[in-house]
Amino acid sequence: MANMVDPKIFESLQAKIDEDQHVRDDIRTILQSLERQGRSVQSILSRAHSTPAAHLQPALDAAKEAIAEEVTSIGKLSEATVGSPYYKYNGLWMRDVQNVVFAILFCGWLGGMGEEGIVAEPGKLLTIEEVGQILNVPVNLKDQDAFHITIEEYLQSLITLIEELARLAINSVTLGDYQRPLHISHFVKDLHAGFQILNLKNDSLRRRSDSIKYNVKKIEDIVYDLSLRNLVPKAGGAL
Amino acid sequence: MPGVKRSRDGAEKESEGDASPFMPMFETFRDELDQHHDRRERIIKTSRDVTAASKKIIFALQRVRTLKSNIPAKIASENQQRATTMHVQLAAIATDLTGINVWRYQRQISGGIQEYMEAVTFDHYLKHQTLMTFPEASATLPDGIELTSDDYMLGIFDLVGELMRFAITTMATTGSLPGSSAEVNGDVTARDILMDMRELRMSFQALDTASCGGTGLGRDVEKKMEVMKTCVEKVEAAVYGMIIRGRERPKGWVPDLTDDRQAPLESY
Repeated sequence: MANMVDPKIFESLQAKIDEDQHVRDDIRTILQSLERQGRSVQSILSRAHSTPAAHLQPALDAAKEAIAEEVTSIGKLSEATVGSPYYKYNGLWMRDVQNVVFAILFCGWLGGMGEEGIVAEPGKLLTIEEVGQILNVPVNLKDQDAFHITIEEYLQSLITLIEELARLAINSVTLGDYQRPLHISHFVKDLHAGFQILNLKNDSLRRRSDSIKYNVKKIEDIVYDLSLRNLVPKAGGAL
Repeated sequence: MPGVKRSRDGAEKESEGDASPFMPMFETFRDELDQHHDRRERIIKTSRDVTAASKKIIFALQRVRTLKSNIPAKIASENQQRATTMHVQLAAIATDLTGINVWRYQRQISGGIQEYMEAVTFDHYLKHQTLMTFPEASATLPDGIELTSDDYMLGIFDLVGELMRFAITTMATTGSLPGSSAEVNGDVTARDILMDMRELRMSFQALDTASCGGTGLGRDVEKKMEVMKTCVEKVEAAVYGMIIRGRERPKGWVPDLTDDRQAPLESY
């Protein structure tokens, strides 16, 4: 008499579990180097807090080179997940990818990241499309199941950028740069206005975007301190 | 995307108006996120409806007393209606769950699909006394609703719980363990539900799920494995009780079941 369980059922379940493990192992290996590269990029970029804007170019060039290594890792990640459902595994790399996107955004804001089709200028916000071009991967895919940068990841990285700029505003004053806090203030307020029109649900994006207003206030306080002491440079005046 | 670049002279633009140059970009994001949340909510709602209907089907199937035979007409027709409703509900969200979105909303739909799997595999077991295969199970879902092997597997774990209830209630009401015998090549072999449950348990235990730890499947497997083992042991204990005290057992007596869903049919 036939058995209750056709052995093929569990054989194929096991095969699927093993295949899944294989993909996960590949992803984890790549993420290990991506994490290491990420730390190195962050440490280069944090020089911005102690270097006057005028002397930042070497750091930006170094950051761009270091980011290029991250781009290679992202390429490997994209290759390793060909044929695997994107949303089955994206939780594994979301944090690391957000770090890479943040590094690109911050470096871009500082005036780095120029390449063909992307003009480098200080105070610039790189769009998700430009980030995708730099990373050489698609963005916001809807019809095709492949590796890409999601809107959520981009927005998360923007929030990190705002936090970093709040810190930079303080440190700019310490460096004697009274102009930059004003630019930061304006830039962050514009981003804040953007975030306010999003209908966020009770998810991680919502929780983190709640922190934007504190950073806006922190930056406003700096601008207030400067203007109170007549330290705000006249618009159009010498930098 | 136009209007998203800012330059150093940004401060001067303030006099021109307060509109953020990033607005067009954020408006696009808002529309995308709204669509995403709407899809997500539709899926969650359907998942709940499917779960509720599947539970009712399972409930009705627990009134069956025989194995490897057709489901009694009344129960079968009730369940057919429920199944039809579920299919309509699932088919309605099929477009939300295609392509890249199959896994995007996996966590939202998973609960409903698992309960559904429990219902269809239980129905299949009662009729055929075999475990429904993955392709068979997948074919019972409407077009466009993809079955993941994770949901199939987790549904089977829960099936063991239903088999336990079915075994024990049947023993309590008929005084014997449900089973069947069949003739193959002239040999008559009998197979009862406990043998089937042990076979399932062995198959699950042989499965190497160590790699799933912590992610997706891994969250549930460990817990479900323990519950599944307990279910088999409960039936083993009940069969032991039936053999050792069988003749003294008053009709309608039910062994202690902590998770008992169904009252005994009759007692004196």
